Amino acid sequence: MKKTIKSIIRHFVLLFLSVIWLIPILWLFVTSFSGYKGINTSHFFPETWTLDNYAQLFLRSDSIVQYNRWFLNTLVIAIFSCLISTILVLMVSYTMSKLRFTGRKGLMSFSIILNMFPGVLSMIAIYFILKTLGLTNSHLGMIIVYSAGAGLGYLICKGFMDTISVSLSEAARLEGASEAKIFWSVIIPLSKPIIVYTVINAFLAPWGDFVFAKLMLNSGVATDWTVAIGLFNMLGKSMINKYFSVFCAGGVIIAIPISILFVIMQKCYVEGITGGSVKG
Amino acid sequence: MKKKVLATLLATAMVAGCLAGCGNSNDGAASTPATEEAAPAEDAAPAEDAAPAEDAAPAEDTSSAADASDPIATLIANTSGTVALTVWASEEDQDLTTKLLDDFKATYPDVTFDITLGAESESTAKDTILTDVEAAADVFAFADDQINELVQAGALQEVAAHYTYDVAAENATGAVEAATVDGKLYAYPMTADNGYFMFYDSSVFTEDDVKSLEKMIEVADAAGKKIAMDISNGWYIYAFFQGAGLELTLNDDGMTNTCAWNAAGGTDVAQAIIDLTASNVFVDMGDEDMATQIAEGNVVACVNGTWRAETAQEAWGDNYAACKLPTFNAGGKDCQMSSYSGYKLVGVNPHSANLGWSMLLAEFLTNEAAQTARFDARGLGPANLAAASSDAVQSNPAIAALAAQAAYATPQRVGGNFWSPAETLGQILASGNPDGTDLQELLDTTVEGITAPVE
Repeated sequence: MKKTIKSIIRHFVLLFLSVIWLIPILWLFVTSFSGYKGINTSHFFPETWTLDNYAQLFLRSDSIVQYNRWFLNTLVIAIFSCLISTILVLMVSYTMSKLRFTGRKGLMSFSIILNMFPGVLSMIAIYFILKTLGLTNSHLGMIIVYSAGAGLGYLICKGFMDTISVSLSEAARLEGASEAKIFWSVIIPLSKPIIVYTVINAFLAPWGDFVFAKLMLNSGVATDWTVAIGLFNMLGKSMINKYFSVFCAGGVIIAIPISILFVIMQKCYVEGITGGSVKG
Repeated sequence: MKKKVLATLLATAMVAGCLAGCGNSNDGAASTPATEEAAPAEDAAPAEDAAPAEDAAPAEDTSSAADASDPIATLIANTSGTVALTVWASEEDQDLTTKLLDDFKATYPDVTFDITLGAESESTAKDTILTDVEAAADVFAFADDQINELVQAGALQEVAAHYTYDVAAENATGAVEAATVDGKLYAYPMTADNGYFMFYDSSVFTEDDVKSLEKMIEVADAAGKKIAMDISNGWYIYAFFQGAGLELTLNDDGMTNTCAWNAAGGTDVAQAIIDLTASNVFVDMGDEDMATQIAEGNVVACVNGTWRAETAQEAWGDNYAACKLPTFNAGGKDCQMSSYSGYKLVGVNPHSANLGWSMLLAEFLTNEAAQTARFDARGLGPANLAAASSDAVQSNPAIAALAAQAAYATPQRVGGNFWSPAETLGQILASGNPDGTDLQELLDTTVEGITAPVE
């Protein structure tokens, strides 16, 4: 009996918390179907329901809503950054985990400390370096920035690779395999969970980034924008009352690729985090 | 070994790059214009393009008094290759600007243009431009309150000469003053309606009612409706204090303020705001809320600007009306509420590779035809005298209200330290001074914040 009461209380607490967490998302979701384009503060649920906001996003591009274009831009940037950073992270992890060389410990500590500084600190410096190279307002520049420092985030992945028995790579080495061969043919096939984790992480950062994109894409040309900047632009004081529900629809759509990626890789994701943390 | 040397070299190069980057960023932040090193680095501006632009500048100086076709002919003659220009206009202005740019290209068919149109709100233009003046557009629109800082940062080219029309003579005096810093004209006036006034529903209020705020509150209370104003916003609360003759001015340094809100009579104004809001008929409400509440029919009058005209017109239909701000009673005396008048201006970036063309384009975007087109398309009040005197403009209720309010309005010249203390003051007064702070003390604190030195 006592157990049941405790369980009920626990569930009520959880229910309460989940309501708090879900309300903003629910509001965003229902507002995306609102027939009224502005912010309606006096009703939670819209008075009129419509799919028009989504139609406007995809079918009726104007100077303010160019969602297809933004979506494509963001997807291209995110996919390429994701590929490059995943490869960098895996390679660095392999080096730190399986190879022994002078200064390894020092290098490891150094990169971990370096990685602890927030990226925004160097933002202005990076902007001017890229400007000198003519890479501002270009998607190539953004891909470089998102993926260049990725190797520093090797810690969890290295922790996972530490759990792969050394005897495997030693055996391969005795057979005459090169380091590259060991990496690609022995370690990578065994690291599926952590690869999934790295891929998701590497995809999420550029997919949702706003600060850096805003700084880099400063020409004001809407066709160059990513989704984050485009959506932010709809919240300008003169536009918010005509585009708020469209903004919500855009926010809902942006969550779809992440959700798909996550659902597909969910099983491995959990394995990856826990596996990597054992010896992390 | 070789690899190590290479690695060291690469690392050194990277560090050097970082340092150079930092150096540049400092230059950008300080108000000094481009370093020589940075200018050629801009790939977008080939060297040949820069030369004719420089030639064009003296040409326009010498012939400013002569007939207008000459400097343009010189400009065209000095132009070789494509003229690449970037223009920033607000989102709402994109369609119109696209059309104007096409007209501009058609006006000069002998020249090849590559004009990029970007979106940048007039109200945030300063922030974006000052991040990196060199990367900013050649021609951009901005609100007139940003002009001091833009000039200080070297982001505005002085309008020393003109090609097609006399900027100073053809625009309203107030607009020209707003575009002038230290006696030099720095921008081209585009609109003259960036101020606020009173919108009302004429089925609730008569023309006599809207002359005094007290009367309006009485009428609205009887109808069970509300009157809205964004009191907790320095831009609007200024109306009360300035209306009672308590001045707020910008000092000569262009950053700090002088404020007399705590002088004699200040407490009367503060008390008046508390009394006005006490009935809960005259309410403190942000712009977005106002739009919703007008549409729902709860708010029947509000203090706002032309950008809300559409909302009000939709909600009130034929009963939509606008007028100058009403009077309010402070310390037994009726005071006419003042307001800020604002202008939108077009500026030219001195870092532009095609300075002559940029200035010509800025003129084209702000001439009489363009201002008339802007009014027709978006209902924005023209700064151009000829455009403003047309019948269509004169009969627009919002523009007429602005014109009536103009006599009591002052241009917005205020340092950055004003906003936050004024907002706090507005919040406290609109909520009825819940802590019961002595009003004189409250105003003293506010003024101390407003006049605080800028570091």
